[in-house]
Amino acid sequence: MRIIVITVLLFSFKMATSQELYVYTEPASNMAAKNIGLRLTNILMRDKVAKKNRFFITPELMWGISKKIMVHATVLAGNGSNDLLLNGGSVYLKYRFLSNDEVHRHFRMAAFGKYSWNNSDIHDYAIQLNNQNTGYEIGLIATQLHHKVALSASASFLHVTDNINNKFAFGNKLRNAVGYTVSVGKLMLPKEYTNYQQTNLNLMLELLGQSNLYNGYSNLDVAPAVQFIFNSRMRIDLGYRFPVVTKLHRYNDRGTLLRFEYNFFNAY
Amino acid sequence: MKNIFLIAAVLSCLTSAAQIKKVSLQASGLTCSMCSNSILKSLKTVDFVDKVDANIKTSTFDIVFKPGKNIDFDQLKNKVEDAGFSVADFRIVMQFDPLLLNKDSHITSAGITFHFLNTINQTFQGEQVIRIIDKGFVSAKEYKKNSKLTALECYKTGIAEPCCIQYGIKKGTRIFHVTI
Repeated sequence: MRIIVITVLLFSFKMATSQELYVYTEPASNMAAKNIGLRLTNILMRDKVAKKNRFFITPELMWGISKKIMVHATVLAGNGSNDLLLNGGSVYLKYRFLSNDEVHRHFRMAAFGKYSWNNSDIHDYAIQLNNQNTGYEIGLIATQLHHKVALSASASFLHVTDNINNKFAFGNKLRNAVGYTVSVGKLMLPKEYTNYQQTNLNLMLELLGQSNLYNGYSNLDVAPAVQFIFNSRMRIDLGYRFPVVTKLHRYNDRGTLLRFEYNFFNAY
Repeated sequence: MKNIFLIAAVLSCLTSAAQIKKVSLQASGLTCSMCSNSILKSLKTVDFVDKVDANIKTSTFDIVFKPGKNIDFDQLKNKVEDAGFSVADFRIVMQFDPLLLNKDSHITSAGITFHFLNTINQTFQGEQVIRIIDKGFVSAKEYKKNSKLTALECYKTGIAEPCCIQYGIKKGTRIFHVTI
Protein backbone atom coordinates (compact mmCIF):
# COMPACT_ATOMS: atom_id res chain seq x y z
CA MET A 1 0.00 0.00 0.00
CA ARG A 2 2.82 2.41 0.92
CA ILE A 3 4.55 1.74 -2.41
CA ILE A 4 1.39 2.59 -4.30
CA VAL A 5 0.89 5.87 -2.42
CA ILE A 6 4.51 6.90 -3.03
CA THR A 7 4.27 6.00 -6.73
CA VAL A 8 1.11 8.06 -7.11
CA LEU A 9 2.66 11.03 -5.30
CA LEU A 10 5.84 10.83 -7.41
CA PHE A 11 3.73 10.79 -10.53
CA SER A 12 1.67 13.71 -9.32
CA PHE A 13 4.72 15.88 -8.68
CA LYS A 14 6.25 15.41 -12.10
CA MET A 15 4.66 18.50 -13.60
CA ALA A 16 4.66 18.16 -17.35
CA THR A 17 2.20 18.08 -20.17
CA SER A 18 -0.41 15.45 -19.53
CA GLN A 19 -3.77 14.27 -20.72
CA GLU A 20 -7.16 13.42 -19.32
CA LEU A 21 -7.98 10.77 -21.91
CA TYR A 22 -7.71 8.00 -19.35
CA VAL A 23 -7.70 4.36 -20.33
CA TYR A 24 -9.70 2.68 -17.54
CA THR A 25 -11.94 5.56 -16.49
CA GLU A 26 -13.77 8.49 -18.06
CA PRO A 27 -12.85 12.11 -17.28
CA ALA A 28 -15.52 14.68 -16.45
CA SER A 29 -15.15 16.14 -19.97
CA ASN A 30 -17.31 15.00 -22.84
CA MET A 31 -16.78 14.39 -26.51
CA ALA A 32 -17.69 17.31 -28.74
CA ALA A 33 -21.28 17.54 -29.88
CA LYS A 34 -21.92 15.60 -33.10
CA ASN A 35 -18.75 13.55 -32.63
CA ILE A 36 -18.96 9.81 -33.12
CA GLY A 37 -16.26 7.58 -31.69
CA LEU A 38 -15.63 3.92 -32.36
CA ARG A 39 -13.70 1.76 -29.98
CA LEU A 40 -12.57 -1.82 -29.92
CA THR A 41 -11.24 -2.92 -26.56
CA ASN A 42 -9.50 -6.25 -26.13
CA ILE A 43 -8.79 -7.56 -22.67
CA LEU A 44 -6.80 -10.63 -21.74
CA MET A 45 -7.24 -11.63 -18.11
CA ARG A 46 -5.93 -14.42 -15.96
CA ASP A 47 -8.56 -16.56 -14.24
CA LYS A 48 -6.52 -17.57 -11.23
CA VAL A 49 -9.01 -20.19 -10.04
CA ALA A 50 -9.51 -22.07 -13.32
CA LYS A 51 -5.90 -21.26 -14.27
CA LYS A 52 -7.01 -20.14 -17.72
CA ASN A 53 -6.75 -17.02 -19.83
CA ARG A 54 -10.00 -15.16 -20.34
CA PHE A 55 -10.36 -13.00 -23.43
CA PHE A 56 -12.94 -10.21 -23.69
CA ILE A 57 -13.67 -8.07 -26.71
CA THR A 58 -15.83 -4.95 -26.46
CA PRO A 59 -16.82 -3.00 -29.56
CA GLU A 60 -18.13 0.38 -28.44
CA LEU A 61 -19.96 3.28 -30.06
CA MET A 62 -19.61 6.73 -28.47
CA TRP A 63 -21.90 9.60 -29.35
CA GLY A 64 -21.55 13.24 -28.36
CA ILE A 65 -25.19 14.35 -28.26
CA SER A 66 -24.51 17.87 -27.03
CA LYS A 67 -21.67 19.65 -25.27
CA LYS A 68 -23.05 18.37 -21.95
CA ILE A 69 -24.26 14.87 -22.77
CA MET A 70 -22.60 11.84 -24.28
CA VAL A 71 -23.63 8.22 -24.48
CA HIS A 72 -21.76 4.98 -25.06
CA ALA A 73 -23.18 1.64 -26.17
CA THR A 74 -21.07 -1.49 -25.92
CA VAL A 75 -21.35 -5.13 -26.80
CA LEU A 76 -19.40 -7.63 -24.73
CA ALA A 77 -18.10 -10.91 -26.00
CA GLY A 78 -15.84 -13.27 -24.09
CA ASN A 79 -14.62 -16.81 -23.98
CA GLY A 80 -16.38 -17.94 -20.82
CA SER A 81 -16.31 -21.47 -22.16
CA ASN A 82 -13.78 -21.98 -24.94
CA ASP A 83 -15.56 -20.22 -27.77
CA LEU A 84 -15.95 -16.51 -28.12
CA LEU A 85 -19.56 -15.86 -27.13
CA LEU A 86 -21.78 -12.86 -26.82
CA ASN A 87 -22.01 -12.21 -23.08
CA GLY A 88 -23.94 -8.97 -22.94
CA GLY A 89 -23.69 -5.26 -23.39
CA SER A 90 -23.98 -1.95 -21.64
CA VAL A 91 -25.12 1.62 -22.04
CA TYR A 92 -23.40 4.57 -20.43
CA LEU A 93 -24.45 8.20 -20.15
CA LYS A 94 -22.40 11.12 -18.90
CA TYR A 95 -23.78 14.56 -18.10
CA ARG A 96 -21.25 17.35 -17.61
CA PHE A 97 -22.87 19.81 -15.22
CA LEU A 98 -19.95 22.04 -14.32
CA SER A 99 -17.21 23.49 -16.48
CA ASN A 100 -14.87 26.27 -15.36
CA ASP A 101 -12.49 26.96 -18.22
CA GLU A 102 -9.37 29.09 -18.25
CA VAL A 103 -6.56 29.04 -20.82
CA HIS A 104 -4.87 25.60 -20.56
CA ARG A 105 -6.92 24.85 -17.44
CA HIS A 106 -10.30 23.57 -16.44
CA PHE A 107 -12.23 22.14 -13.57
CA ARG A 108 -15.14 19.98 -14.59
CA MET A 109 -17.68 17.77 -12.95
CA ALA A 110 -19.99 15.22 -14.45
CA ALA A 111 -22.58 12.70 -13.34
CA PHE A 112 -22.72 9.32 -15.00
CA GLY A 113 -24.85 6.23 -15.13
CA LYS A 114 -24.21 2.83 -16.57
CA TYR A 115 -26.38 -0.24 -17.05
CA SER A 116 -24.95 -3.60 -18.04
CA TRP A 117 -26.55 -6.85 -19.08
CA ASN A 118 -24.63 -10.10 -18.82
CA ASN A 119 -25.37 -13.81 -19.15
CA SER A 120 -22.12 -15.16 -17.66
CA ASP A 121 -21.68 -17.37 -14.66
CA ILE A 122 -21.27 -15.24 -11.54
CA HIS A 123 -18.17 -16.53 -9.79
CA ASP A 124 -17.68 -13.85 -7.17
CA TYR A 125 -19.49 -10.95 -5.59
CA ALA A 126 -17.03 -8.25 -6.62
CA ILE A 127 -19.17 -6.20 -9.00
CA GLN A 128 -17.73 -6.31 -12.50
CA LEU A 129 -20.10 -4.55 -14.86
CA ASN A 130 -17.56 -4.77 -17.67
CA ASN A 131 -17.30 -8.54 -17.82
CA GLN A 132 -19.46 -10.48 -15.35
CA ASN A 133 -22.53 -8.78 -13.95
CA THR A 134 -25.91 -7.38 -14.83
CA GLY A 135 -26.43 -4.25 -12.82
CA TYR A 136 -25.99 -0.51 -12.70
CA GLU A 137 -23.59 2.13 -11.54
CA ILE A 138 -24.22 5.81 -10.84
CA GLY A 139 -21.57 8.27 -9.86
CA LEU A 140 -19.77 11.57 -10.03
CA ILE A 141 -16.49 12.52 -11.71
CA ALA A 142 -14.31 15.56 -11.06
CA THR A 143 -11.38 16.44 -13.32
CA GLN A 144 -8.83 19.19 -12.88
CA LEU A 145 -6.60 20.20 -15.77
CA HIS A 146 -3.93 22.67 -14.72
CA HIS A 147 -1.54 23.67 -17.45
CA LYS A 148 -0.08 20.27 -18.13
CA VAL A 149 -1.33 18.08 -15.31
CA ALA A 150 -4.70 16.35 -15.40
CA LEU A 151 -6.01 14.74 -12.24
CA SER A 152 -9.37 13.01 -12.01
CA ALA A 153 -11.36 11.27 -9.31
CA SER A 154 -14.68 9.49 -9.27
CA ALA A 155 -17.02 7.94 -6.74
CA SER A 156 -19.96 5.71 -7.52
CA PHE A 157 -22.62 3.39 -6.21
CA LEU A 158 -22.91 -0.06 -7.79
CA HIS A 159 -25.73 -2.56 -7.60
CA VAL A 160 -26.00 -6.01 -9.18
CA THR A 161 -29.12 -7.94 -10.04
CA ASP A 162 -29.24 -11.48 -11.35
CA ASN A 163 -27.66 -12.23 -14.69
CA ILE A 164 -29.75 -13.20 -17.69
CA ASN A 165 -29.35 -16.96 -17.14
CA ASN A 166 -27.56 -17.06 -13.83
CA LYS A 167 -28.57 -15.91 -10.39
CA PHE A 168 -26.40 -13.87 -8.02
CA ALA A 169 -25.99 -16.57 -5.39
CA PHE A 170 -24.24 -14.63 -2.63
CA GLY A 171 -27.31 -13.15 -0.93
CA ASN A 172 -29.06 -9.82 -1.34
CA LYS A 173 -26.96 -8.07 1.31
CA LEU A 174 -23.88 -8.32 -0.89
CA ARG A 175 -25.44 -6.75 -4.01
CA ASN A 176 -24.23 -3.20 -3.30
CA ALA A 177 -20.81 -1.60 -3.42
CA VAL A 178 -19.11 1.74 -3.65
CA GLY A 179 -16.54 2.37 -6.39
CA TYR A 180 -13.76 4.96 -6.37
CA THR A 181 -10.99 5.91 -8.75
CA VAL A 182 -8.08 8.34 -8.98
CA SER A 183 -6.34 8.93 -12.31
CA VAL A 184 -3.40 11.01 -13.46
CA GLY A 185 -2.01 11.44 -16.96
CA LYS A 186 1.17 12.86 -18.45
CA LEU A 187 2.07 13.75 -22.03
CA MET A 188 5.55 12.55 -22.95
CA LEU A 189 5.58 13.55 -26.64
CA PRO A 190 5.59 15.85 -28.48
CA LYS A 191 7.68 18.25 -26.42
CA GLU A 192 6.05 21.09 -28.32
CA TYR A 193 2.93 21.13 -30.48
CA THR A 194 3.51 22.33 -34.03
CA ASN A 195 0.84 20.48 -36.03
CA TYR A 196 -2.04 18.01 -35.77
CA GLN A 197 -0.08 15.18 -37.39
CA GLN A 198 2.38 14.79 -34.52
CA THR A 199 2.04 11.52 -32.64
CA ASN A 200 1.15 12.04 -28.98
CA LEU A 201 2.49 9.66 -26.37
CA ASN A 202 0.79 9.74 -22.98
CA LEU A 203 1.44 7.82 -19.79
CA MET A 204 -1.39 7.16 -17.37
CA LEU A 205 -1.58 5.79 -13.88
CA GLU A 206 -4.94 4.89 -12.41
CA LEU A 207 -6.16 3.51 -9.11
CA LEU A 208 -9.49 1.70 -9.23
CA GLY A 209 -11.19 0.43 -6.10
CA GLN A 210 -14.39 -1.08 -4.87
CA SER A 211 -15.73 -1.77 -1.39
CA ASN A 212 -18.73 -3.92 -0.62
CA LEU A 213 -21.27 -1.92 1.38
CA TYR A 214 -22.32 -4.83 3.58
CA ASN A 215 -19.03 -6.29 4.77
CA GLY A 216 -16.56 -3.57 3.77
CA TYR A 217 -14.38 -6.01 1.81
CA SER A 218 -12.41 -4.17 -0.85
CA ASN A 219 -10.29 -4.55 -3.88
CA LEU A 220 -7.90 -1.95 -5.19
CA ASP A 221 -6.23 -2.14 -8.58
CA VAL A 222 -3.34 -0.22 -10.06
CA ALA A 223 -3.42 0.32 -13.81
CA PRO A 224 -0.50 1.91 -15.62
CA ALA A 225 -1.06 2.53 -19.32
CA VAL A 226 0.57 3.99 -22.39
CA GLN A 227 -1.43 5.79 -25.05
CA PHE A 228 -0.69 6.90 -28.60
CA ILE A 229 -2.72 9.50 -30.44
CA PHE A 230 -2.30 9.72 -34.22
CA ASN A 231 -3.39 12.60 -36.44
CA SER A 232 -5.30 14.06 -33.48
CA ARG A 233 -8.17 11.62 -34.06
CA MET A 234 -7.02 8.05 -33.58
CA ARG A 235 -6.01 6.48 -30.31
CA ILE A 236 -4.29 3.26 -29.24
CA ASP A 237 -4.18 2.35 -25.55
CA LEU A 238 -2.13 -0.38 -23.92
CA GLY A 239 -2.64 -1.01 -20.22
CA TYR A 240 -2.01 -3.54 -17.52
CA ARG A 241 -4.26 -3.72 -14.49
CA PHE A 242 -3.36 -5.65 -11.36
CA PRO A 243 -4.66 -5.79 -7.79
CA VAL A 244 -2.85 -4.59 -4.70
CA VAL A 245 -5.75 -5.19 -2.29
CA THR A 246 -7.67 -8.42 -2.87
CA LYS A 247 -10.00 -8.90 0.10
CA LEU A 248 -13.00 -8.63 -2.26
CA HIS A 249 -12.30 -11.79 -4.19
CA ARG A 250 -12.33 -12.03 -7.98
CA TYR A 251 -11.56 -14.94 -10.31
CA ASN A 252 -10.26 -12.61 -13.04
CA ASP A 253 -8.27 -9.99 -11.22
CA ARG A 254 -5.47 -8.95 -13.54
CA GLY A 255 -4.96 -8.48 -17.23
CA THR A 256 -3.80 -6.57 -20.25
CA LEU A 257 -5.90 -4.14 -22.26
CA LEU A 258 -5.40 -3.13 -25.88
CA ARG A 259 -7.81 -0.59 -27.31
CA PHE A 260 -8.26 1.06 -30.70
CA GLU A 261 -10.30 4.23 -30.98
CA TYR A 262 -11.22 6.40 -33.95
CA ASN A 263 -13.10 9.70 -33.80
CA PHE A 264 -15.31 11.27 -36.43
CA PHE A 265 -15.62 15.00 -35.70
CA ASN A 266 -18.87 16.66 -36.78
CA ALA A 267 -20.08 13.33 -38.08
CA TYR A 268 -23.54 14.60 -39.03
CA MET B 1 -26.06 73.00 -26.29
CA LYS B 2 -28.97 70.94 -27.60
CA ASN B 3 -27.41 70.95 -31.10
CA ILE B 4 -24.07 69.68 -29.79
CA PHE B 5 -25.86 66.92 -27.91
CA LEU B 6 -27.81 65.98 -31.05
CA ILE B 7 -24.65 65.87 -33.18
CA ALA B 8 -22.89 63.78 -30.55
CA ALA B 9 -25.84 61.38 -30.37
CA VAL B 10 -25.95 61.02 -34.15
CA LEU B 11 -22.20 60.49 -34.32
CA SER B 12 -22.44 57.91 -31.53
CA CYS B 13 -24.78 55.57 -33.39
CA LEU B 14 -23.26 55.65 -36.81
CA THR B 15 -23.69 52.97 -39.37
CA SER B 16 -20.14 52.37 -40.47
CA ALA B 17 -19.01 50.93 -43.75
CA ALA B 18 -16.40 48.99 -41.79
CA GLN B 19 -15.42 45.53 -43.01
CA ILE B 20 -14.65 42.53 -40.82
CA LYS B 21 -11.33 41.12 -42.02
CA LYS B 22 -10.71 38.34 -39.52
CA VAL B 23 -11.49 37.02 -36.04
CA SER B 24 -8.82 35.69 -33.74
CA LEU B 25 -10.22 33.67 -30.84
CA GLN B 26 -8.52 31.86 -28.02
CA ALA B 27 -10.23 28.78 -26.62
CA SER B 28 -9.93 27.71 -22.99
CA GLY B 29 -10.17 24.42 -21.11
CA LEU B 30 -7.80 22.41 -23.29
CA THR B 31 -4.17 21.54 -23.90
CA CYS B 32 -4.18 18.49 -26.19
CA SER B 33 -4.11 18.44 -30.00
CA MET B 34 -7.14 16.17 -30.31
CA CYS B 35 -9.18 18.71 -28.33
CA SER B 36 -7.85 21.51 -30.55
CA ASN B 37 -8.71 19.45 -33.65
CA SER B 38 -12.24 19.08 -32.35
CA ILE B 39 -12.61 22.88 -32.15
CA LEU B 40 -11.01 23.36 -35.57
CA LYS B 41 -13.43 20.89 -37.20
CA SER B 42 -16.36 22.51 -35.40
CA LEU B 43 -15.45 26.03 -36.60
CA LYS B 44 -14.98 24.83 -40.17
CA THR B 45 -18.62 23.70 -40.36
CA VAL B 46 -19.81 27.34 -40.15
CA ASP B 47 -21.09 28.40 -43.56
CA PHE B 48 -19.63 31.93 -43.51
CA VAL B 49 -16.15 30.70 -42.52
CA ASP B 50 -13.60 30.43 -45.32
CA LYS B 51 -10.41 29.38 -43.56
CA VAL B 52 -9.31 28.58 -39.99
CA ASP B 53 -5.66 28.69 -38.99
CA ALA B 54 -5.01 26.96 -35.65
CA ASN B 55 -2.15 27.31 -33.18
CA ILE B 56 -2.34 24.23 -30.96
CA LYS B 57 0.15 25.53 -28.43
CA THR B 58 -1.71 28.76 -27.67
CA SER B 59 -5.23 27.37 -28.38
CA THR B 60 -5.84 30.26 -30.80
CA PHE B 61 -7.79 30.10 -34.04
CA ASP B 62 -7.55 32.75 -36.76
CA ILE B 63 -10.74 32.77 -38.80
CA VAL B 64 -11.13 34.35 -42.24
CA PHE B 65 -14.60 34.78 -43.72
CA LYS B 66 -16.19 34.27 -47.09
CA PRO B 67 -16.78 37.61 -48.84
CA GLY B 68 -20.30 38.98 -48.81
CA LYS B 69 -21.54 36.66 -46.04
CA ASN B 70 -23.18 37.83 -42.82
CA ILE B 71 -20.94 37.10 -39.87
CA ASP B 72 -22.44 35.82 -36.63
CA PHE B 73 -20.04 35.97 -33.67
CA ASP B 74 -22.43 34.07 -31.43
CA GLN B 75 -22.33 31.15 -33.83
CA LEU B 76 -18.52 31.03 -33.63
CA LYS B 77 -18.66 31.09 -29.83
CA ASN B 78 -21.31 28.34 -29.85
CA LYS B 79 -19.17 26.15 -32.09
CA VAL B 80 -16.30 26.32 -29.57
CA GLU B 81 -18.74 25.47 -26.78
CA ASP B 82 -20.26 22.60 -28.79
CA ALA B 83 -16.75 21.17 -29.09
CA GLY B 84 -16.72 21.10 -25.27
CA PHE B 85 -14.67 24.22 -24.54
CA SER B 86 -15.02 27.95 -23.94
CA VAL B 87 -13.86 31.21 -25.49
CA ALA B 88 -11.30 33.13 -23.42
CA ASP B 89 -10.48 35.88 -25.90
CA PHE B 90 -12.23 37.12 -29.04
CA ARG B 91 -10.64 39.82 -31.20
CA ILE B 92 -11.99 41.23 -34.45
CA VAL B 93 -9.80 42.83 -37.08
CA MET B 94 -11.92 45.42 -38.88
CA GLN B 95 -11.41 48.05 -41.49
CA PHE B 96 -13.08 51.29 -40.34
CA ASP B 97 -13.96 54.42 -42.22
CA PRO B 98 -13.00 57.49 -40.10
CA LEU B 99 -15.12 57.65 -36.94
CA LEU B 100 -15.15 59.74 -33.81
CA LEU B 101 -15.64 57.47 -30.83
CA ASN B 102 -16.89 58.72 -27.49
CA LYS B 103 -17.78 56.98 -24.27
CA ASP B 104 -20.50 54.44 -24.99
CA SER B 105 -20.47 54.99 -28.75
CA HIS B 106 -22.78 52.56 -30.55
CA ILE B 107 -21.64 51.66 -34.07
CA THR B 108 -23.59 49.42 -36.41
CA SER B 109 -21.58 47.75 -39.15
CA ALA B 110 -22.46 44.86 -41.46
CA GLY B 111 -25.60 44.32 -39.42
CA ILE B 112 -23.67 44.05 -36.14
CA THR B 113 -24.03 46.62 -33.34
CA PHE B 114 -20.96 47.39 -31.26
CA HIS B 115 -20.96 49.29 -27.98
CA PHE B 116 -17.52 50.78 -27.37
CA LEU B 117 -16.77 50.86 -23.68
CA ASN B 118 -13.33 52.36 -23.17
CA THR B 119 -13.16 55.06 -25.81
CA ILE B 120 -13.06 58.75 -25.00
CA ASN B 121 -13.15 61.24 -27.86
CA GLN B 122 -10.82 59.39 -30.23
CA THR B 123 -10.69 59.13 -33.97
CA PHE B 124 -10.89 55.62 -35.26
CA GLN B 125 -10.00 54.66 -38.80
CA GLY B 126 -8.29 52.08 -40.95
CA GLU B 127 -7.56 48.55 -39.79
CA GLN B 128 -8.24 48.20 -36.06
CA VAL B 129 -8.50 45.37 -33.57
CA ILE B 130 -11.43 45.37 -31.19
CA ARG B 131 -12.08 42.86 -28.42
CA ILE B 132 -15.49 41.55 -27.41
CA ILE B 133 -15.88 41.32 -23.62
CA ASP B 134 -19.42 39.93 -23.43
CA LYS B 135 -20.43 36.82 -21.52
CA GLY B 136 -19.11 33.75 -23.27
CA PHE B 137 -16.42 35.74 -25.13
CA VAL B 138 -14.16 36.13 -22.08
CA SER B 139 -13.49 33.77 -19.19
CA ALA B 140 -16.19 33.48 -16.52
CA LYS B 141 -13.78 35.10 -14.09
CA GLU B 142 -13.21 38.14 -16.33
CA TYR B 143 -16.93 38.53 -17.07
CA LYS B 144 -17.73 38.46 -13.35
CA LYS B 145 -15.04 41.11 -12.71
CA ASN B 146 -16.37 43.32 -15.54
CA SER B 147 -19.96 42.92 -14.33
CA LYS B 148 -18.96 44.45 -11.02
CA LEU B 149 -17.33 47.45 -12.77
CA THR B 150 -20.33 48.45 -14.87
CA ALA B 151 -23.98 49.08 -14.04
CA LEU B 152 -25.03 48.84 -17.68
CA GLU B 153 -28.00 46.51 -18.04
CA CYS B 154 -27.06 45.80 -21.67
CA TYR B 155 -23.74 44.26 -20.57
CA LYS B 156 -25.58 41.73 -18.43
CA THR B 157 -28.11 40.80 -21.11
CA GLY B 158 -26.16 41.33 -24.35
CA ILE B 159 -29.14 43.10 -25.94
CA ALA B 160 -30.15 46.75 -26.22
CA GLU B 161 -31.79 47.89 -22.99
CA PRO B 162 -33.23 51.30 -22.00
CA CYS B 163 -29.63 52.51 -21.49
CA CYS B 164 -28.97 52.11 -25.24
CA ILE B 165 -32.20 53.64 -26.62
CA GLN B 166 -30.75 57.16 -26.40
CA TYR B 167 -28.17 56.05 -28.99
CA GLY B 168 -30.88 55.16 -31.47
CA ILE B 169 -30.63 51.38 -31.02
CA LYS B 170 -33.88 49.42 -31.07
CA LYS B 171 -34.66 47.55 -27.85
CA GLY B 172 -33.76 43.87 -28.05
CA THR B 173 -31.03 44.29 -30.69
CA ARG B 174 -28.01 42.07 -30.08
CA ILE B 175 -25.15 44.29 -28.88
CA PHE B 176 -21.49 43.35 -28.62
CA HIS B 177 -19.56 45.22 -25.93
CA VAL B 178 -16.05 45.94 -27.16
CA THR B 179 -12.81 47.51 -26.04
CA ILE B 180 -9.93 48.71 -28.20
